[in-house]
Amino acid sequence: MALMTGEQYEDSLRKLNMKVYLLGEIVKNPVDHPIIRPSMNSVKLTYELAQDPQYEDLMTATSHINSGKINRFCHLHQSTDDLVKKVKMQRLLGQKSGACFQRCVGMDAINAVDSVTFEMDRKLGTEYHKRFNKFLLMMQEEDLTVDGAMTDPKGDRGLPPHKQADPDLFVRIAERRPEGIVVRGAKAHQTGAINSHWILVMPTMTMGKEDADYAVSFVAPADAEGISYIYGRQSCDTRKLEGSPIDVGNRQFGGHEALMVFDNVFIPWENVLMAGEYEFSGALVERFAGYHRQSYGGCKVGVGDVLIGAAALAADYNGAMKASHIKDKLIEMMHLNETLYACGIACSAEGSKTASGNYLINMLLANVCKQNVTRYPYEIARLAEDIAGGLMVTMASEKDFRHPEIGKVVEKYFRGVATVPTESRMRVLRLIENITLGTAAVGYRTESMHGAGSPQAQRIMIARQGNLEQKKSLAKALAGIKE
Amino acid sequence: MKCVGVKYCGGCNPHIERSKFVDELKKILAEEMHLTVCRGQEKWELGILVCGCATACADRPEIRELAPEWILVAGPNVDIEPTPVAEMARVVALKIRKYFGGRDPHEVA
Repeated sequence: MALMTGEQYEDSLRKLNMKVYLLGEIVKNPVDHPIIRPSMNSVKLTYELAQDPQYEDLMTATSHINSGKINRFCHLHQSTDDLVKKVKMQRLLGQKSGACFQRCVGMDAINAVDSVTFEMDRKLGTEYHKRFNKFLLMMQEEDLTVDGAMTDPKGDRGLPPHKQADPDLFVRIAERRPEGIVVRGAKAHQTGAINSHWILVMPTMTMGKEDADYAVSFVAPADAEGISYIYGRQSCDTRKLEGSPIDVGNRQFGGHEALMVFDNVFIPWENVLMAGEYEFSGALVERFAGYHRQSYGGCKVGVGDVLIGAAALAADYNGAMKASHIKDKLIEMMHLNETLYACGIACSAEGSKTASGNYLINMLLANVCKQNVTRYPYEIARLAEDIAGGLMVTMASEKDFRHPEIGKVVEKYFRGVATVPTESRMRVLRLIENITLGTAAVGYRTESMHGAGSPQAQRIMIARQGNLEQKKSLAKALAGIKE
Repeated sequence: MKCVGVKYCGGCNPHIERSKFVDELKKILAEEMHLTVCRGQEKWELGILVCGCATACADRPEIRELAPEWILVAGPNVDIEPTPVAEMARVVALKIRKYFGGRDPHEVA
């Protein structure tokens, strides 16, 4: 089963026995929970579009292992063309879902782990890459969704892992046994964790010798004994429980994050991909972050496309589309959005081959891409709110709109252009609210800021990669400075 | 072997409605031939590569191998010539007919 259908994916999730907490209760059936379901639909879309001839050229790839047709999310990039296609696929999915479709973290994790474990084995004589390849083959053949889990809770940011008041604030090896390791700790902000079949854990930062037990990477089934999930709240999430689809803004799709807790989870050696080799932790973090910073040049752009379209519709429905300042704001939004896309494409086109054979993005350009992502979606959102008008946050509920008495009042006073139904105006304003302030704002705004690393992390990488000395040489040459 | 195949690009940011174009083309040619949408590596005598924008990222050697001749729709262009979107299906249908030179395409296959 190299390609699952959407239905097969949904059925496969139902077979998992995950321990999920949401709003203080254990969720027995995450797939059908009204708060979780839209996020499942987003991942399901990655399976459905792979089956569609209109999208398969981006959504699928050829496995370098067995030349079979696989979902691109399970693919190791074999060329810069693959890297470019990844970004295009992400833009497509952002356009179709208007939300975070979650599956990128696994793709970015396998591509980072592939090259780093290869280099570890080459230098240390370990067998991590061999183990990884076995996992990768299963992932491709079974078309698995994998959660790439990197971010630890981190406790006191001023202290390294081994000096934290609580040793579990970074995922660590708590015990080594002949047959495997036992891990404790947690991973925070885990995108799509509850929609994943497996998890691929990586260290959260460069580790030193004293933190060797925190330099740990492994794969585990998402429902392994000892793993539990505490679902993250999103702004306006309980609107999904109200039975008012207009008020939800985007009824079908969404994203999610969760705290993933490891309570003495046993990992057999065959699933361990790093166990104390701290000197390779930095490379793994940088490469995963680099791939994920590239990702945002696609997915956020796709959601941006939706938001720009929604803002333009709002302008149409408000009767403001002919105003020159509205046109100019829409132009600015498109300019910003396409700039992000340009960065995503550029860091892909300038990618290079690793020792293991897969392709890595251009790290400088990927970090420039993500640095822009920490800013431009906010400006696009601001302009969308400007164009939409205050009604997007003061509008009456759908229940009022449907009310037998006051519904007529809502219909009358919330109408913009006479030829456009009030309901259409309400729907597009709620969609803008969803992306800028509601559940999807988690992905479009704050995730743009902190996902794949906070802004300062990119600035450090830009400083490292920026080739400043060469720039000085250029200036000296033109200025006639001989020293 | 099927005669005329349709291969889509991935559709990340299309400037034309690709499926609408193909539907129109099928309608125009309904009584003359059957268009097959690519699902695998089947070979055709003539291929229609339907790309959403002028980049035409699906125009790659391995795709070109699926047929000896291609008509390239890339955004609002047919074989690199700017073409009004409303005219595209008709223009492509004429090219298909010209390619087969009045022959029955099924017979050619």
